[in-house]
Amino acid sequence: MELAENIIQKRPEGLSSPSKKKQRKYQHTLTKQTGAKCTIFPTKHIGICNSGLVNGLSEEVVYEHFSKYGKIEQILMLPGKSCCFVSFDDIKCSTKAFNNINGVLNIAQYLKPVFLSFVENIPESLIEANLKHDSDPPNGLIILENFITDSEERAFLALNDFNRLGSSLKHRQVKHYGYEFKYDINNVDLNCPLEEKIPKECDILWERLRIAYPQLIFVEPDQLTVNCYKPGQGIPSHVDTHSAFEDPIFILSLGSAIVMDFKNDNGDHHSLLIPQKSFVIMSGESRYAYTHGITPRKLDILQTKAGLTVFHRAIRVSFTFRKVRNGKCCCKFHSKCDSYLRTHEKSYTAFGQLAERVEETHVHKVYENIAQHFSETRHKPWPNVVDFIKSFETGSLLVDVGCGNGKYMNCGQNIFQIGLDTSISLLNVCREKQYQVLLGNCLRIPLLDNVADGAISIAVIHHLSTEERRFSAIRELLRILKAGGRVLVYVWAKEQKHRNEKSSYLKQDRKNRRCEENEAVSNEKLTLVDGVEIPIHTNRTQFKHQDVLVPWKLKKNSGKSLNTGTDESQTFLRYYHVFKEGELENMCAQFNSKLLHSYYDQGNWCVILEKK
Amino acid sequence: MKLLTHNMLTSKCMKGVTVGYPLKINAFDVKVSEVDFNPEFVSRIIPKLDWNVLYNAAESIGQVEDMPKSIVDDYENNTDFLKKVHRVLLEVEVINGELVCPETGRKFPISNGIPNMLLNEDEV
Repeated sequence: MELAENIIQKRPEGLSSPSKKKQRKYQHTLTKQTGAKCTIFPTKHIGICNSGLVNGLSEEVVYEHFSKYGKIEQILMLPGKSCCFVSFDDIKCSTKAFNNINGVLNIAQYLKPVFLSFVENIPESLIEANLKHDSDPPNGLIILENFITDSEERAFLALNDFNRLGSSLKHRQVKHYGYEFKYDINNVDLNCPLEEKIPKECDILWERLRIAYPQLIFVEPDQLTVNCYKPGQGIPSHVDTHSAFEDPIFILSLGSAIVMDFKNDNGDHHSLLIPQKSFVIMSGESRYAYTHGITPRKLDILQTKAGLTVFHRAIRVSFTFRKVRNGKCCCKFHSKCDSYLRTHEKSYTAFGQLAERVEETHVHKVYENIAQHFSETRHKPWPNVVDFIKSFETGSLLVDVGCGNGKYMNCGQNIFQIGLDTSISLLNVCREKQYQVLLGNCLRIPLLDNVADGAISIAVIHHLSTEERRFSAIRELLRILKAGGRVLVYVWAKEQKHRNEKSSYLKQDRKNRRCEENEAVSNEKLTLVDGVEIPIHTNRTQFKHQDVLVPWKLKKNSGKSLNTGTDESQTFLRYYHVFKEGELENMCAQFNSKLLHSYYDQGNWCVILEKK
Repeated sequence: MKLLTHNMLTSKCMKGVTVGYPLKINAFDVKVSEVDFNPEFVSRIIPKLDWNVLYNAAESIGQVEDMPKSIVDDYENNTDFLKKVHRVLLEVEVINGELVCPETGRKFPISNGIPNMLLNEDEV
């Protein structure tokens, strides 16, 4: 058997010794992150040591490049990790892939080459935890295969000529019958029915459904939305507005199979293949409590215990049939029910000077008071932020907006970093280490336009208490950047469970490690100025609201309050707006910038933007 | 506050201020401390600077020494020049003093090397 080391040396260009050193470093990281044992002997299993989901590497790209060398048995992407695994059917193929890709193929972040290592085995526990995509449907979802014949499929497709259709959303083409679904209000207008009703040709479906599924109670739909997806197009995760439509919802799929993702608040994630010519009944929990969406990509990779199957997408046309609802929704799935939330949620909307007062009292003053304790507990930089900073070349200017105690201020190599923060106590900590810092607000950065090569905003924008102010903060970050400059933004996620994995924020509670879910809900409310109330969050639990006050407990004698010198144990409440999946991206989409990468890391939603 | 930082600072975030650049420096306490010299870093920073602003700032606080008034040709290979620039950019630091907005005269205090650029409610 050949040694991988030898294989490397045999490669025509050969790897220079710094690369070898780099390779060893990466192998070490792979083992540390995953527990997989690296080996110099070729095996079927290859670890990609320096790139994974957090670096923007997708299963699709891995498949595209590795499948050239033989049949792939499994691709294992790991959420929150900068590595992943590919297993081949046999060693010949994996060796070929290794020789051609290692240190050569530029699919790692910032177009750098990937470094590979053979591993003895992929640890079972990793497979168990990450081949999570449950391929069984969620409760209430029924897929009836081959519901229509080939000739009926052609007839349905002929009903719409998408080449002529004018209306097109950013990512797909769409046409409505019966009522128009308005995407700005996410609802239909009952007073404005459309001239065009659901085509008669669809009637066969209801007769057939009654025969195929006699126990199903349903009213014939009066609204139809036809979507046309080209390969590479998709639809963001969403719940059909509860108050707009009854239960159930039906989907007829034409032209191509597709994988649809269903996710709920508990972090359950089902990836389901919706076959061509199938008829889906989405009812109960699957209709009310799960979001559904289609990832924009050209091929779907479905992994089950049996192995890996790849579906190349063709043009898919879907018919979504719904019955328009008259009145409120009364379902029991409150977290996604707009009718329930409208009447029960005291939504917090601050504006103008009130927003500034909230931030002054519940952000700026709190950081001033907890500065010492905060700084003592915030010393470990997040690796993906460090990687971003290290990607800037010598002589770059990087601004850390909201630098806190400066934990990222010396991560760069031969670059000039300036920090900005509103807390003088935290800035004084920075000065002890000679960092360049400014006292200022992220909404009014005191720097010239187009001056910085890069910027970071780590855990800052979630402290701004109106959408307008959060929007302005991103505009400010882009303002100071040069064209081509990049900014990395981290905000706290409402979802503290992602792809079935609890964030370290939840894990830090011992109770959460043991039991299923900490359901404790705090009913405490704090009355603020002008009668606006914000709920107080219970630490180490999932967020129930987006606008919350998060307690910071200062223990007796630890980090005395600088102003009062008291050594009483004190609780400070910090204001947060925790971001929902997609919220940060949508906000960023409104600027003249390019979204280079978006990901979930350490319980945060993260984006990298490039200024145009 | 190093003079490299000063080179990018502006008061234009204030209501009614259009350029707010460069800010005038009143230095009460200036410290010069040794920083590792990296010629590549300095030569890459130079084209990003407003040279006149840097020169005038250094002059105004009496730290220009023998740094030339304009950028020399072929500065990438002129270690002597790069060292002088390095000193002005990175080794000189205003510890206490104030920055003055050129349009409104508003003063921003500098203490412990930190310029206080926070604005009052009525200034935004």
